[in-house]
Parts: sequence; C-alpha cells; structure tokens
Amino acid sequence: MPPPWISMSVEMYSSGLDAIVTLQSSVSQLASAQDGAAKSASPPRLDWWSIAAIAPAVLILLGFLFLFFYGVFQSLTDLKFGRPLVHFIGLTNYAALIKTDDFWNSVRATLVYAGSAVLAEAVLGVALAKLFATEVFLARVMRPVILLPLVLPPMSVALMWTTMMDPQSGILNYLLSLVGMGRFAWISDPATAMISLVLIDIWTYTPFFTLIIFAGLQGINEEIREAARVNGAKGWATFLYIELPLIAPYILIAAVFRLIESLNQFDIIFGTTQGGPGNSTSVLSVRAYITAFQNLAFGRGAALMVVNWIIVLAGAFLTVKLWRYVRPRVS
Amino acid sequence: MRLNRSGSTNIALNLLVGICALTLAFPLIWILLMSLKQQGEVMAWPPKFIFSPTLENFRVLFDAAQAGATSYGTIKVDFLTPVTNSVAIALGSVFVSMLLGVPAGYVLARRDIPMKEDIAFFILGFRFAPALLVVIPLFNVFQTIGLYDTYLGMIWVYQVVTLPMIVWLSRSYIEDIPKDIEEAAAMDGAKPVRVILHIVLPLLKPGLIGASLLIFLLAWHNFALGLILSSTKAPVTVALLKLLNPGVQFYPVMAAGLVVTMIIPVILIVMGQRHLERGLTFGAVK
Repeated sequence: MPPPWISMSVEMYSSGLDAIVTLQSSVSQLASAQDGAAKSASPPRLDWWSIAAIAPAVLILLGFLFLFFYGVFQSLTDLKFGRPLVHFIGLTNYAALIKTDDFWNSVRATLVYAGSAVLAEAVLGVALAKLFATEVFLARVMRPVILLPLVLPPMSVALMWTTMMDPQSGILNYLLSLVGMGRFAWISDPATAMISLVLIDIWTYTPFFTLIIFAGLQGINEEIREAARVNGAKGWATFLYIELPLIAPYILIAAVFRLIESLNQFDIIFGTTQGGPGNSTSVLSVRAYITAFQNLAFGRGAALMVVNWIIVLAGAFLTVKLWRYVRPRVS
Repeated sequence: MRLNRSGSTNIALNLLVGICALTLAFPLIWILLMSLKQQGEVMAWPPKFIFSPTLENFRVLFDAAQAGATSYGTIKVDFLTPVTNSVAIALGSVFVSMLLGVPAGYVLARRDIPMKEDIAFFILGFRFAPALLVVIPLFNVFQTIGLYDTYLGMIWVYQVVTLPMIVWLSRSYIEDIPKDIEEAAAMDGAKPVRVILHIVLPLLKPGLIGASLLIFLLAWHNFALGLILSSTKAPVTVALLKLLNPGVQFYPVMAAGLVVTMIIPVILIVMGQRHLERGLTFGAVK
C-alpha cells in the first residue's frame, strides 16, 4: 500500500508508480529478469529473517503515515493551542476557508509559482542539457557546476538571493544598471515579488531537469542521429523530430518530481518574503504555517495543508497522464 | 559527438557554457566576497569588487565571549550552537537511517517476501511526503511526550526524509552487485550472515559512503522540521533566518553564516560528484 500523498485512487497508484517502475526497469532490465528467475525457482515461503530486517524501517514510516492521517483528522476539528476541549466540526474549517479571498489568493499563488517555475525549468533544462552535451572543452570542465545550486540548503539559497535582491545595495540592481535599466524592487514590491521568487526557483532547480535530461540524451543511440543526418535532416529537425520525442518522457518525469516539490515549496518562500509583501506570495504551505504556528489555529492550518496536498495529487496525476501519453510514441 | 564542428561554433559554444556556468556560480562567489567585507563596503554603491578582506564577520558569528561587540554596532549571535546541532542531528540521522535502511534495502533487492513491490513503493512515496501536514500533529505529540526540542526527537522526525532515501539507494546499489558472487559463496557452504558480512558489505562500501554523503546533505538542508519542532536544538538553517533581522540588515554577517552553511555541500560535491548526481535524481532515473 503506498502512502496517500502519492495515491488517492487506485488509478493514480497504478499510473503514477507504473511511470517510475517502467522508466527504471527499462534501465535495469537485467535486475528484474533475475528477480523473475529467482521467483519461479523457489516457491514463496515466509522468510522471518527478511521480515525482521525490513520491519523497523517499515514501522517507523507507518508511524509517519499514521501522523499524516491524524493531521487530516485535525483538519476536521477546531483544535487551537491551549484549548482544552477539541470538537469534531466536520468540514467547517473548509467551508470557512473557501469563503475568504485570502484562501483563493493562496491557491492562485501556489499554482502560479509552481506552474511557471516548472515550465521555465523544463525549457531551460533542455537547453542547458543540450549545451553541456556538446562536450566542448568548457562543458567538460564545468560539469560539476551544474550540481551547485542543488546541493545548497534551500534556506541558504533564499537568503543569498534576498541579499542580492536588496533594492538599495543589491548586486542585481547594479548589474541591471550596467545595461541601462533602472532600479527594480524585486521581492519588496507586491507586483514583482512573485516573479522574483520564480526566478530563484528557476536558478535553483533548472539543474535538476538538466541532470535527468542529460541521462535521457545519453541513452539515445548514436545510430539514430546518424540515420537522421544521412537522410538530410538539419540540426534543428533532428532535435525536434528525433531527440525531443525520445527525451520527452524524461522531461515529464522530472516535471512530476519538481511539480510536487514546488507545490509544496516552503523554505524558499518563507526565507525570502514569508508570504508578503501584502498577500502577493502567500502560497498555501506558508499560509498553513502562519495559521497553525503564529495564529495557533492548528485545525485551520491542517485544513490548508490538506487542500495543498489535494492540489499536489491533482498536479502529479495530470503530469503522469501526459507522461503515459508520450511514452508509447517512443517505444 | 559532432567532430566536424567548425572553430567559430566551438568558440561560441564554449562562450555559452561559460556564461551558464558563471550564472550558476556567481551568486556563491558574490556571497563569499560579501562575507569578507565590512558593513560599510557592503552598502556602498556601486558595489565594490576590490577591497581589503576581513575575517571580522566570522569572528562575530563564532566568538561567543565577545558576542555583541562588533565594529559596526551590536548584534547577538550564537552560531556555534546551531552548527553543532545541525552536525549532531545530521550525523545521528545518517547513523539511524543506515542501521535501519540498509537491511531493508537488502531484503527488497534480494529476498522474496510478500507484497515486496508494494512495500518498496510505500517507502518511495515518502519522497513526496507533505512535511507540514505530518508536522502539525507532530507538534502536539512532541509537546505531550517530551520529545520537543530534543536531539532524539529531531533525529526520529528526520527519518521521514532520510530513511526512504537510504532504503532505495541501498537497494539500487545492491542490485548492481552481480548475484552470482553471493550464490557462488553460498554454494561453497558460506552461511548467509557470512556472505553478507564478507562479500556483500565490502562490495557495497563505496555505494554506501556515497549514499550517506547524500542523506547527510538532505538532513543538512532541512529547515521546516527544525523551525517547528525545536528551539534550543534548532539547526543552522533556522539560525540563519534569525540573522536577517527586519530593519537592521547586517548583510556581511549573514553572508558569513551563508558561507558556513554552503561550505559543507560544496566539499561534498568535490568528494562524490557521481554519487550525488545519482542520489539527487533518484527515483526519476536510476
């Protein structure tokens, strides 16, 4: 049984996990073939040593699964800090939420942030992967630099960019002034805060797409490219009609991972704007934190996180659908 | 790939790669420079690229005895405690995860147990766990049972991040070891425990070192769990945010703090680039 944040329905389960299984097993058919042989050779019997070895890990994670359900339950109560009696109030928290503009503003902010960041990262990720796949001198030397943004703590990334985006003394405004542009308010203006955050996300996670697409590009048989060239395909045509369909599943798998993580993004947004200025970057996870731990309304905060989780599921589900659509055309 | 590339294309491509690499590396270089500046130099316009470096900011961070007395005002920071906390929590998490996760990974790779694939995906699913939804109830539980603000509690809750990762990574590394070696040893009469201790573990060592580097990094990154479930045992990421006081912006001191949190990951890249790439993209590509 998978945990509920990746499978709401059976179909989500089969399609979502299938996606990952298939991609992995295509890479490692050897291992799965060996498993099959082993299974048919010996009849299944209970192996107590194996169960003892796996039990502690599974039990700890089951504990977290229980907490997850407990959190969903809390979203149906009026739990507040210091309140001795807790009542089950059904969907009242949700009903109260959807009546407020703040809530819909948060939903919109979450979708805009994740949607635009993932789209831009996918496009830039392909470009960066293609560029480094040329294997020119600097591409070989600079390869480890791709990893750099991914290994930094997201909170450090957030504060690093806060410093650089300072309207008065920030280096970004200086660089803009070099090309003759005026000062930009970045994260301190409601009108530009969201785009600034998306830029930070793009800088940080484009390398994730690049690494995965790189693996996809290396998997393409050189003979296929050669055949296209012999048949007179120009560079762009080879890319559009030969390479892109072959790496599309990799792009979409990376997109599933990034979409889930950026819909849940907390560190970068909390570290830079804490949801402000005004309400402009108040995504659901940040609003849930503020509701639960600053206003101490745990029930209401949990309800916000449940809504966030449903959006994550829906987003992952749609991307996996898309993945299943592009996959058959490849094989 | 394309060997017949012309010279000018080659230069253009190198130039493009250089620009991209600079875009990725420049923010870090800039922060490093800033951490060596004085407050006045940081606020200068246009920004200074040439200045006489000082280690003053790092002294402010770590010199607990003289905390508060800086050349440009008073700030109270105690950065050594959060750094120690982060190291202790991360090392503890790595240790517990390895102890529990590697046996599980071995079973999932080699043994036949009921619902094996279901269990494997149950574990992988935690890569997408909505941390806040788990932490909101956990906050009350921790307060009740006294685990709030303890290393033990923090290490336990960090398992939600590190344990699934180590199970899957060790499973994939074990699958890379040819099964024949184990079978041959078993055929020669070696007991299963001996096979694991003397044959599997030595072969697995490089993979496990790489995996532990990666999960150390994941633990080092974490912010939300420490923010909510600890106060005096808060990790360095939480302390970092506190350096950014609204109103008074001691950017150079914060830059020094950033350098401290970023130096470990950068060292890890140098130590195990290959393993980190495998781990960071894990689940999407094998």
